[in-house]
Amino acid sequence: MIATSIKWTRHNLFGKPLDVVLSLLVIPGVLWLAYTITDWAFASAKWDIVVQSLRVLMIGVFPADQAWRAWTASAIIGAILGAGLGCVFCFKPHHGLVLLLVPVLLLIVDGGLENALPATGIIASTILGWALTSYVPLSRKVLPAAAFTGFIVIVAVMAPPGVGLWGGLLLSVLLTLVTSVLSLPIGILLAFGRQSRLSSLRIICTWYIEVMRSVPLILVVYWIWILMPVLAPQWGLADVARGMIGFTIFYSAYVAEYVRSGLQAVPRAQTEAARSLGMSEFDINRSIVLPQALRVVVAPLVGNVLDIFNSAPLVFIIGLTDFLRAGQMILANPQYGDRTFEVLSFLLVTYFVIGSMITYAARKLEDHMATGTR
Amino acid sequence: MNAIVEMKSMNKFYGTHHVLKDIDLAVTRGEVMVILGASGSGKSTLIRCVNGLEMYQHGRLVVDGFEMPVEADRRLGGERELAQIRKGVGMVFQQFGLFPHKTVLDNITIAPMRVRKKSREEAEATAMKLLDRVGLRAHANKYPGQLSGGQQQRVAIARSLAMEPHLMLFDEPTSALDPEMVGEVLDVMRELASSGMTMMVVTHEMGFAREVADRVVYIDQGSILEIGKPDEFFDNPKNDRARSFLARVLKH
Repeated sequence: MIATSIKWTRHNLFGKPLDVVLSLLVIPGVLWLAYTITDWAFASAKWDIVVQSLRVLMIGVFPADQAWRAWTASAIIGAILGAGLGCVFCFKPHHGLVLLLVPVLLLIVDGGLENALPATGIIASTILGWALTSYVPLSRKVLPAAAFTGFIVIVAVMAPPGVGLWGGLLLSVLLTLVTSVLSLPIGILLAFGRQSRLSSLRIICTWYIEVMRSVPLILVVYWIWILMPVLAPQWGLADVARGMIGFTIFYSAYVAEYVRSGLQAVPRAQTEAARSLGMSEFDINRSIVLPQALRVVVAPLVGNVLDIFNSAPLVFIIGLTDFLRAGQMILANPQYGDRTFEVLSFLLVTYFVIGSMITYAARKLEDHMATGTR
Repeated sequence: MNAIVEMKSMNKFYGTHHVLKDIDLAVTRGEVMVILGASGSGKSTLIRCVNGLEMYQHGRLVVDGFEMPVEADRRLGGERELAQIRKGVGMVFQQFGLFPHKTVLDNITIAPMRVRKKSREEAEATAMKLLDRVGLRAHANKYPGQLSGGQQQRVAIARSLAMEPHLMLFDEPTSALDPEMVGEVLDVMRELASSGMTMMVVTHEMGFAREVADRVVYIDQGSILEIGKPDEFFDNPKNDRARSFLARVLKH
């Protein structure tokens, strides 16, 4: 064991003169950095601020006595996400144990049930959803309908205290989910529209896509926020809804471009074979071309979801309190002025963990879709 | 006249390039017609016109009692005749054209279910019978990517037959296959011919043409230069270019 690692080290790190120089420079640097960070994280950092402000970080300024509503919504989201994951990636008991570490850790650090209880509920429902679709294949068929119902329930549960109060990580996740789900069908229609034989439709779709891709997201969101009350004053749309509309309008154009590249990757021979069987153009696009096109663009589409999640902080422009903004709000309190690093580190690590989970799930999804094709 | 396909001075252009020149050709029901010619002679284009994958500009083409609209009319939406024709004409491609995301069984049942509105049970029963006929019953639940080229082409033939066509078009069905797999596909085609199916076959398999064809058509540079019984054509070609073509392909 030691012999092989020495051999590996000599071969990989000290093989050539240049390697030796680089290793001698980089390894001490990395060690020093690791030491400094660990020392700070465990000795001098005061993490109690994160634990105390956890509710604000997770659900923003949602009233504390109504927090159960937000926690219920989070549990439903957890169940939906877990169930989605279960369709492509089978649940194993050790996954559950790792997830359950979160509430246990909270209980130890916090010493109270205020945070640990909701965390347990959210994690438990995630595991439940994940295990359900992993072991009961039949449940996968009803997932879209169940997820839709779940979303209605979320809105119904969260609405009473006021839609304007939604915030924190919950808002970021909701915004990402709604935008990803809505922009997919719109993007697909735009991609087909761009290839349409009807030139009016083709020109409209092309213009839409090109315009959205050449302007900044923040501008579109702001513009829609201003414009919606002018165009449809009778709807009285909340800021959150207007933000979601802005995001969807913007990201649909990107989805359309990804889908179009997928459509172009489907060989012409496939369409010709389907035509020779007498299938209608609609059936050909729906059953032959689109499934193959989407398979090709799973990776960029999931990358797009990650993009949406990472762009969510931009909703501060229309006065919403997303995850990042909630962190800033905590720091705005003069009493916490010296805890900037603690809060920002927590945000960084959380964004990193969620982002890597999305990429990881994407890889599983790709593996899943590749089976049977080649 | 019991013709299933009738071409009257049919002309096709790619831009200014004249691909098919004044084609006059009639295929009778039950006939096996093999179309020969060098690559680029227009023989593939000719049979792709029959089910409307290619459009022609002048002349007349009647398939199975339906008039195939010329390009100008198709732009105006003459798609109904086209759909009618395609229902009754099967086609087998050089590159198989199987749907890689569907199992062999789903490949065969999708068109009967969507186009002929058959129930799944009925479509699957027919599909299994056809898979039996091409000797692939055991592979029904595999994906095309798991099969050899020869097997894929036999599935493609079964898929076309599932639509109960009156006419089958073959566009170089064995050209993309490894030599040892050519035989199994030709066997299926032989069996199909002897069952009375009307077939138009573009191929480079001269042995097959000689043995199975009722008539052989020789095309060069977009014109039909010779039509005749296979024995006459192979033993005693009248046209000079046909003679040099045969000399080239039969030498190997």
